[in-house]
Amino acid sequence: MKKLLLVVLGLTVGLAAFAQAPKLVIWADDTRTPVLRDLAVEFKAITGVEIEVVEIAFDQIRGQFITAAPTGQGPDIIVGAHDWVGELAANGLLEPVDFGPKLAEFSVSSVQAFSYGGKNYGVPQGTENIAIIYNKALVPEMPKTWDELLVFARQITDPTKPMYALVFQNGPDPYHWFPMLSACGGYVFGPDASGALNPCDVGLANEGALRGAQLFADMIEEGLLPAGVSWDTMRALFFGGNAAMVISGPWLVADTKAAGIDYGIAMIPSIQCADGSYGVPKPFIGVQGFMVSAFSQNKLLAFDFLLNYIATTDTMLALYNRNPRPPAHLPTFELVKSDPDIAAFGLQGQNGIPMPNIPEMASVWGAWADAQSLIANGQATPEQALQEAVQKIKAALKCP
Amino acid sequence: MAGREVVAQGAKLGLLALLDAAAVWAAVSLLLRGDHLLLAVLAAGALLLNFVVLSRRAYPLRFLLPGLVFLFAMVVYPIGYTINVSLTNLQTGNLLTKSQVIAQLEGRYYLPPDHATFSYWAFRNPQGELRVILLAQDGRSYLSEGSQLLPVDLTDPRFVRGTDGTVVAFDDFTRLSLAQIYQSLPALERLDLMLEGVHVRLATVREFGTYLRKYEYLRDVDAIRDLETGIVYTAREGYFTSPDGVRIEPGFQIYVGFRNYLDVLTNPGIRADFTRVFGWTVAWSFLTVFFSFWLGLVLAYLLNDPYVRGRFFYRSLLIIPYAMPAFISALVWAGLFNTDLGVINRIIGELFGTKVRWLQDPMWARAALIFINVWLTYPYMMIVSLGALQSIPKEMYEAARVDGATGWQRFWTITMPLLWVSVAPLLIGSFAFTFNNFTIIWLVTAGRPAVLGAATPAGATDILISWTYRLAFEGDRGNQLGLASAVSIIIFVIIATISAVNFRFTRALEDVSRGV
Repeated sequence: MKKLLLVVLGLTVGLAAFAQAPKLVIWADDTRTPVLRDLAVEFKAITGVEIEVVEIAFDQIRGQFITAAPTGQGPDIIVGAHDWVGELAANGLLEPVDFGPKLAEFSVSSVQAFSYGGKNYGVPQGTENIAIIYNKALVPEMPKTWDELLVFARQITDPTKPMYALVFQNGPDPYHWFPMLSACGGYVFGPDASGALNPCDVGLANEGALRGAQLFADMIEEGLLPAGVSWDTMRALFFGGNAAMVISGPWLVADTKAAGIDYGIAMIPSIQCADGSYGVPKPFIGVQGFMVSAFSQNKLLAFDFLLNYIATTDTMLALYNRNPRPPAHLPTFELVKSDPDIAAFGLQGQNGIPMPNIPEMASVWGAWADAQSLIANGQATPEQALQEAVQKIKAALKCP
Repeated sequence: MAGREVVAQGAKLGLLALLDAAAVWAAVSLLLRGDHLLLAVLAAGALLLNFVVLSRRAYPLRFLLPGLVFLFAMVVYPIGYTINVSLTNLQTGNLLTKSQVIAQLEGRYYLPPDHATFSYWAFRNPQGELRVILLAQDGRSYLSEGSQLLPVDLTDPRFVRGTDGTVVAFDDFTRLSLAQIYQSLPALERLDLMLEGVHVRLATVREFGTYLRKYEYLRDVDAIRDLETGIVYTAREGYFTSPDGVRIEPGFQIYVGFRNYLDVLTNPGIRADFTRVFGWTVAWSFLTVFFSFWLGLVLAYLLNDPYVRGRFFYRSLLIIPYAMPAFISALVWAGLFNTDLGVINRIIGELFGTKVRWLQDPMWARAALIFINVWLTYPYMMIVSLGALQSIPKEMYEAARVDGATGWQRFWTITMPLLWVSVAPLLIGSFAFTFNNFTIIWLVTAGRPAVLGAATPAGATDILISWTYRLAFEGDRGNQLGLASAVSIIIFVIIATISAVNFRFTRALEDVSRGV
């Protein structure tokens, strides 16, 4: 019996000692794992600390992290999108980042995108937003305003071929619809006194939003814009030469090149607002980056790795080359900004709005998409549909 | 014979011994991890296994036990778990347990107004003890002594200087290299040193800094005190809440009794939309089963006729919708039904010069959904009917023919009653499955088209399960798992009731011979 106790004791001590050796576990998607694995070798050579990089599909990381983190079995670092931050931080799963002097190396808007409740929760890496991608063979001159776009669309549109001037995912898909609503002042959540997002101030049915929505409704009614377009349909039309322009993001560029299309990237045409001025459509900006688990046993190590090994031009450039998006790390952005695609998407992005990251956003998408489909189907006027959506959102959020 | 028995006995005992060894190993590691619940389950399981194998009396259990284990693991446990979750407030913001939240809050610090940072040297002695020398920016230096930091004079000869003039050793302690510091980070990170009432902790790999504790848990009043502002946050509704209603995030899980059920049953919005959604759900399940059964049966009847040539070929062709993954078929059909660009509307346009607003008009969207689901389900019905048809004795038909029965009569008086006995339970099962067929709805229409004036996000083609998905995951701050569990239990009760009534009505499970 004594012997057994000794063995058990020995095992305990042994395991405890084993647990002492620090090791970082990172969950990353397939575009980042190769870079991180190379970096892990370098990090181990300098520090002796091992880094395990686990490859998980990007859209799986959030759910698996929520399940794993509270049990202590989760990773130390995850790769993710800034709009996860609200949910993860509200659940107490993220550790705030103290950038120290490194803060100056990141674009202000990308750091802000990762902030929630006044704290920063992520080291931003790449930003993305949508703009116009057009087929140069079909668009002689890119329209600057929506009126010019309509003139062009009336010339070229022929549903029997089919041929459309502009196509974007709208089946329903509020993400790709938002630039039209935001051009003249529509917004999702307005700021409160402290500058944080106020979930009870929903600006999806204000005058500016209705103007954009009316334009959308009119185009569908006139037959200039096909309704119910999905991702696959949009691709098929654009790659088949049946659509002159699409509203999409950097994720479409590689396939556009592969399809052999001579493409250009341009700003979404401006929309004339009620006061006669032209409003630039403001797309949502998405930022991807690295976050540290609140349940990590190696937080300082994780931050050291992120701020001194990830936040370098070498790593950021390697990440950029795997998946070209405008880098949030300014020294790296300087190196790649001469790329015409990056510059063009960046130009639209300068006017963008970070997609709200507060968890209340969960109540917005469904109601908003319903409104878009009601308008597209002609079952409701933009005013009816969007005002009802705002009511539903506020009811779901228990706003007064 | 005896020899073989000995070998069999030996193999059995050997296998059991191996399993027991594995169980002991697992038990030790569970004990070390402090997972007592799993340990109890493991112990009970191992004892049961030994009893079943070794006891003669438990011999029949050997064949029942695997089934019982799976029944427990796949049916009883998930139901119990769902019921348990339905009684909690599990949702975004209330994910962690209370003790996890308290531990997290007690580990939070804030920077004092005169925040100071220190560079440091870390040392270790052969016994593995860690000590640090901190160098303040004003030139003073401190040595850790237990959890205290004491001023120290580094010119003391006990401190051995290296070639660069820095301290490399003292007493039996030697300085850690940067790589060694990295290796010892977890231990260094846990150091909580006190200097004149202020906490000094590792701030980055290269620096210590001064901190003050932010929160303190008051056990006797179950509250959190903010040590910076003095505000006391009491535990209320799953959050530590200040007297003026400010909540500290994160919140924690609590049991809320039947509140989730009451929320569902008394919410005016939910009650307003329930009838419409429930009606469509029943129609959707019934029509799918009805059409797919008749289509499947007719095809099976034709293909069962020995005079039809190329039966094998037709059967293989007709089985294709069943063999293709439903995910892909559903998405393909959604594309085909697209109003402006879909092939179906192109054909209709060519033939009739009109456009059907599939997936946009509520009635057409429902029709399209039922069509797609019938397409996905009829092969199953066909296979089932084929099997049942082939089991009907040929002599009965011959006898009927001799008696002068027409084909129609043979079908209604011989085929149908005999078929019904074996197929009816499957139809009820199919009904229950379709009732909850979230996938098809979600992939084809996602519950849309939207209904103007609906109180909740309930679209024209939302069935109960997709509607509750929207309520639970597209409401409030998302992921309202407590509410979702309550709704699944309610749906479970509804389906159980419908199925029970069906079984009663069709007498499907009653003795086969009575139906003949």
